Amino acid sequence: MKFDLHIHSCLSPCASLEMSPAAIVDAAKAAGMDGIALTDHQSARNAPAIAVCARQAGLGCLFGLEVQTAEEVHTVALFDTVEVALELTDWVYAALPRRKNDPDTFGDQPVVTWDDEIVEMEEKLLAAGCARSIPEVAEFVHARGGLYIAAHVDRPNFSVLGSLGAIPEPFEADTRYFDAIELSRTVHASEWLPKIGDYAVVRSSDAHHLCDVSRVWTEADGTFSIAGLKDIFARKATRLSERITCFSAN
Amino acid sequence: MLLSELTQKLGGTIVVDKPEAIIRSAYTSDLLSDVMGHCGDESALITIQNHLNTIAVCTLAGIEAIVICHNRPIPEDMKVAAEREGVAIVTTPLSQFAASVALGELEASVR
Repeated sequence: MKFDLHIHSCLSPCASLEMSPAAIVDAAKAAGMDGIALTDHQSARNAPAIAVCARQAGLGCLFGLEVQTAEEVHTVALFDTVEVALELTDWVYAALPRRKNDPDTFGDQPVVTWDDEIVEMEEKLLAAGCARSIPEVAEFVHARGGLYIAAHVDRPNFSVLGSLGAIPEPFEADTRYFDAIELSRTVHASEWLPKIGDYAVVRSSDAHHLCDVSRVWTEADGTFSIAGLKDIFARKATRLSERITCFSAN
Repeated sequence: MLLSELTQKLGGTIVVDKPEAIIRSAYTSDLLSDVMGHCGDESALITIQNHLNTIAVCTLAGIEAIVICHNRPIPEDMKVAAEREGVAIVTTPLSQFAASVALGELEASVR
């Protein structure tokens, strides 16, 4: 099966407004995906909408957030259910700056229905980091059965390697904060795997525009669910698509 | 301090100009949440955070100029946003510490 675990919808201030849940599902299906994950910056408020679209289309879908932590590191948290993703959203929202989003500066943040009606414009400053650290988010996610992935570690900005220089690990040797490490679209996996150690690796599109949805992906034998991915990650049994050299933008 | 004078003190290069900018203070940080919380207006931000989001934070905080250290490259989207929002960008080969020392006559920016 093929899957893409990092996709933004129109709710992300930096994403294109064409990224409606229905359009994302159509694009991922057209790209041959078996499963996707919706991961907007600091929020899962479009998860209820994409749950409907994915179910109608028969596409596997996980629900999560791209949490920008206190360390200003981008991390992907994933769950089987919309409810838990929204629970994490509330916990992240409580740790965001009080300042409201300025759409002219950062972009619009529409919460939409499955058929692309705007419910409201999210006022939280989703472009900002939250005051929750990687260890705190990892604990929250794992306590609720979720998966925690370090996003685009190859990038110099807002990545675990860029901001912290190494993948942080707890003192207790038998636990880890991250269940897998994500590589972005344009890098040669062979250049980065030595810096990642013995973590499972995924490649995800991190699409902010429709034309980028699932242009890269991860492949594995198994079931598209949190339990299925946990098993795949434990076996480090992922295969990455080739990199692409040309993409629209972030 | 004018941008031209600031650039000269840094041995830097102006990537996005703003000749009318008057810089009275400076703040050194690479964490944008910290910049947002502490950096005041009419200021220069000394940083290695060569990212589009830095421009947005400068717009919110009223920061006039960004000093990007170690000659980190300026991504095209960052440059376009800086031109649109009226935020100057200067690159310098100096480190954040050396750039701060070079601009030591400015006040410490506070919010």
